[in-house]
Amino acid sequence: MDGQWNRARGLSFALALAFAALLGVGCATTGEPATVAPPTEDAAETEAAQAAPSPTESSRLNTVRERGRLVCASLNDTPGFGYLDDNGRNVGFDIDLCRAVAAAVLGDADAVDIRLITAAERGPVMQSGEVDLLVYVTTWTTSRDTSWGNFVQTMFYDGQGFMVPVSSGVTSAYELAGAAVCVNTGTTTELNMADFFRQNRMEYNPKTFEESQVAFEAYKSGACEVYTSDRSALTALRSSLENPEEHIILPETISEEPLGPMVPHGDEQWFDIVKAVMGILIYAEAYGIHSGNVDEVAVGDNVKAKRLLGTEGSFGQDELGLDQTVGQTVIKLVGNYGEIYDRNLGPETAIDLPRKGSRNALWANAPCSDCPKGGQIYSQPLR
Amino acid sequence: MRLSLTYQGIPIWRHSRVLGWTAQIVSGIVVVAAVAFFIANLANAIDERDIPFGWSFLNREYSTPISEHLLPYQESDTFAYAFLVAAINTLMVSIVGVILATLLGIVVGAVQLSGNWVISRVATVYVEVFRNVPLLVQLFFWYILLLGLPRVSEGFVWLDSFYLSNSGLSLPAPRAQEMAVPWLLAVVVLIAISIGVRAWLARREERTGKPSYPLLGGVVVVVVGAIVAWFALGGEPFAISVPHPEGRFGRIVDGATLSTELTALLMGLIMYTAAFIAEIVRGGLQSVSKGQTEASRSLGLGTMETLRYITFPQALRVIVPPLISQYLNLTKNSSLALAIGYADLTSVAKTMTQTAPAVTIFLIIMLIYLSYSLTYSLIGNLYNRYIQFTGG
Repeated sequence: MDGQWNRARGLSFALALAFAALLGVGCATTGEPATVAPPTEDAAETEAAQAAPSPTESSRLNTVRERGRLVCASLNDTPGFGYLDDNGRNVGFDIDLCRAVAAAVLGDADAVDIRLITAAERGPVMQSGEVDLLVYVTTWTTSRDTSWGNFVQTMFYDGQGFMVPVSSGVTSAYELAGAAVCVNTGTTTELNMADFFRQNRMEYNPKTFEESQVAFEAYKSGACEVYTSDRSALTALRSSLENPEEHIILPETISEEPLGPMVPHGDEQWFDIVKAVMGILIYAEAYGIHSGNVDEVAVGDNVKAKRLLGTEGSFGQDELGLDQTVGQTVIKLVGNYGEIYDRNLGPETAIDLPRKGSRNALWANAPCSDCPKGGQIYSQPLR
Repeated sequence: MRLSLTYQGIPIWRHSRVLGWTAQIVSGIVVVAAVAFFIANLANAIDERDIPFGWSFLNREYSTPISEHLLPYQESDTFAYAFLVAAINTLMVSIVGVILATLLGIVVGAVQLSGNWVISRVATVYVEVFRNVPLLVQLFFWYILLLGLPRVSEGFVWLDSFYLSNSGLSLPAPRAQEMAVPWLLAVVVLIAISIGVRAWLARREERTGKPSYPLLGGVVVVVVGAIVAWFALGGEPFAISVPHPEGRFGRIVDGATLSTELTALLMGLIMYTAAFIAEIVRGGLQSVSKGQTEASRSLGLGTMETLRYITFPQALRVIVPPLISQYLNLTKNSSLALAIGYADLTSVAKTMTQTAPAVTIFLIIMLIYLSYSLTYSLIGNLYNRYIQFTGG
């Protein structure tokens, strides 16, 4: 009995020692930068250098360049915005925005690691700063802007709607009292829906799901009569149904949903870089620059276009830490805003969200000749 | 030539007391250091990255619906109350799941040892299938399976009061009226009286030797008293609420509804956990030596009696500790409910993170799950101690 006890104690002692040793090593490694420099004549300088590292050294731009990859949190379950194509690649409007930033920063649009997360994980992922960029059909709201990260720019104007089977006979969102509604959790959709039904004093039964596929599956089986999401997503999902004509999207839009990319808090330069990239995409379309004519325009006579492409003047590339010709790289590799839109949501796709006459056209007096105008897509001038 | 046998003493590095204390102190330091490191890390992150943190949101209106709730709930209720509602949902799933999984597990475990070849094979196949497929997959399976039922407008109706569709099963249920509380109080008092009556009748039977039916007497007191109270109170304590379709979508309202989501969740949790419990029960029964069974049979006890009075009580000591772990697993696994749309604690908390600080919310749900688990452990350990000492 006693012998056993001793052996057991000896063993736990050895284990404890091993743990302590491990912890000691861990502390030593993590503690290293904090160790005080030996008191030499340069000590003051060394300490000063350690205390105030130059801002670029720890910047996200440098981190991304050292890593050689851009980590972008996005999605693969929403046709048009982020989904898998026939070859199993991540594609979509949101994915293209990630690619544009990678092209600008790394010169390679494919140097993107897409981090697939659920809608509810967006906040924690941004707060921890573990991704460089979030492009996830994310609605810009004040509370997200303060607690998650910095919203960069509205790249798509959306609004929430409802989809119902035609057979239900419903023609207006105000007739939805008593319905079961399927919705994806962790979204503004859930909150807007609650507001809408409460405002209009209608009873309803919400069914909340983690994954939008399961929520949509429940809608398809008839467990809920209504599916609610952003109108763009509804259009996309409807197009994926076997018989799209058996479902209608109700005319009411119950919310404003400005969608766009987001960066973590705490790095102004990185925030500015992503803003500039979005500006490049928008102004390239406005100036008539697309992936096919970059080289011609770069030596042409349009001064503003040449500034965007880096062949004349500057829009602050140096301060942003980007190449002079970053505009050329981005447009060549990813295309301008219109190309991105058409590729993912345009008439040649199954989704076919009309851009003309919608808020996602360029501003009314954009300088281009045959682009959709009269919308709200606009950004800070590049100069 | 004499051998020196003087006692040298145990060297300090081999002295059991020294070794023991050193191990205690070192492991204590390691634990404290590790905990301190993580807390400091969290505090640091909150500070550096401006991660929102705080408790003030608990008094704010939650203003988001919760699809199913045992407690009454309105959107204007506070976050704190919404936590309670969600925690009770999880608790209900946990308790119902534990009870049914235990029953199923015991049956399957016992059947596995049965002499009937077909039945014992079926039990084995059940165990192997359900404990080897991930729970999340099973939950999707049950949910998609139940979604295959007809939609609510085309669902099955029986006697105009039972409705079955892919939205769930609705059936008539009692609904408390004004007089419910006084009536229930009366029933409690009657039960207390009946216990006294039963004891008195039992004593009388013992004393006089005349059959006095103590149990029957007690039951009669409660039933008769309850019926008298029901009519005497003026106003029925309970009314029957019959479910019926309402509105343009024909949704079933009133009555009691077992939703598809909850059914799928319970089925998944019960079938999965029962497979593990069955193995624990089988192992426990097999741990009782064969001589016990043989002795019991030679005393003339039948198969069921042997199982009930001889084998099972002894097996229980082996079964209970691992069984408690299964209860904890079931409770924690219920957090997968979000995948199939049941409003459990995790699901509601995740929705909350949109409008309130995530770190605080996750701390709260961790504490709630922890308190559930510790309660199960406490009850289980007390029961375990009870059977260990009195089980003979």
